[in-house]
Amino acid sequence: MLKDILISLVQFILLFFFQVLVLDNISLWGMVNPMVYVWFIILLPYNTPRWLTLTSSFLLGICVDIFSSQMGINAFACTLVAFIRPLLLNAFSGNIENTFQRPSASRLGFVNFLFYVIILVAIHHLTYFLLGTFALNEIISVLFRTLISLAATVIIIILCDAVFFHKQE
Amino acid sequence: MNNLWRFLKRYYHVFLFLFLEGLSVYFISLNSYRQGSYVTTVANNVSGSVYSSLDNISSYFYLRSANNDLVQENLRLKKMVESSYVKVINGIHTKSDTVYKQMYSYIDARVISKTVNKRNNFFMLNKGYSSGVEKDMGVIAPNGVVGVVIKTTENFALVMSVLHQDSKLNVRNTRTKTTGTLIWNGKYYATGQVIDMPSSIAVKKGDTIVTSGFSRNFPEGVPVGKIKKFTKDSGTGFYNIDLNFFTDYNKLEYVYVVKNFFKMEQDRLMQGIDTTDNK
Repeated sequence: MLKDILISLVQFILLFFFQVLVLDNISLWGMVNPMVYVWFIILLPYNTPRWLTLTSSFLLGICVDIFSSQMGINAFACTLVAFIRPLLLNAFSGNIENTFQRPSASRLGFVNFLFYVIILVAIHHLTYFLLGTFALNEIISVLFRTLISLAATVIIIILCDAVFFHKQE
Repeated sequence: MNNLWRFLKRYYHVFLFLFLEGLSVYFISLNSYRQGSYVTTVANNVSGSVYSSLDNISSYFYLRSANNDLVQENLRLKKMVESSYVKVINGIHTKSDTVYKQMYSYIDARVISKTVNKRNNFFMLNKGYSSGVEKDMGVIAPNGVVGVVIKTTENFALVMSVLHQDSKLNVRNTRTKTTGTLIWNGKYYATGQVIDMPSSIAVKKGDTIVTSGFSRNFPEGVPVGKIKKFTKDSGTGFYNIDLNFFTDYNKLEYVYVVKNFFKMEQDRLMQGIDTTDNK
């Protein structure tokens, strides 16, 4: 239990710095903007209390917001993702017993995990880009940005998952 | 009462969710750069100090391109100074101290954080109001416009880039002298758009676009870009122009903040017009 909290804390800090100091400076064709810090919310153990999921996601969002000159947008998207996460986990994980395990490809099965990641990240990115632009006449451009950033984020998360959680069968 | 308690206990996460989303919406509403709020000021201070220490390392990567830009700018300025010219006709123009009054002065600053990959992009500079940087001042790079200061703290300034959906800048075609408005459609950071340029006077591909000097933040003639392609909008009688920016906003390192000595006077003048308009 304590160990899980510590691991989550370390993930929080590492993903936050990775996002702010590395990923936010990536500008492939000025369009791709991967937001891998969402992986923190994806990775929280199965039976994390709901209030903890919500507040920690909100905090992470606010921390990233502080560094992106537009307050509140990441926080909004993260809280939304944290709220929807338990529903998705129920749908995709089936009969996993009450444990402090973390969702990963080796536990959920690759296809299940992929859909779980894609749906959560898509909700986050769509909310983020819609709120960040806030103009209906640019909806096509918003959707395009969402799609390519979604692809980049999902690929990075799946790769990281394969590297870090491969051998925990 | 017991039932109410059970209800709250069962759905507490929904209320928590709504509360946190409400808090986020409140933070989003603070983003308006018309007024600076305490929360965003603190946020700018925190991110500014982290970015400025990070910039000490990352600035080395841009040294070569930054040097190159500065040399090009020096070259352009050298061609303009008086000693590069020979007076052809004597005695027609005399330059004395009272004829010229300084209108613009510049404050040098370094970019410590930047984005180009969002719809609305910002820069952060390492100078704030303690160095004389104020809200609404224009920011220019060695080879083009950059944006407008929207907020300052003691040591940092936040700049709204021209790569922002609310950025509108009055520009002029150097060849035809027609004016238009520079905007950015959010697609690619090396290409900007010019609207409201009348199609009655033909533009050409490769024409240079500079600032017109009509907006009070920028001096006249700061380079913006070259026309890449244009289409005539027959409905409105204006051109839709795509231009290539001279400045690579992704490699921005050294910039100048423009201080306009007559801004207050000009603002007062405009204010008079605005209030009479509203009546």
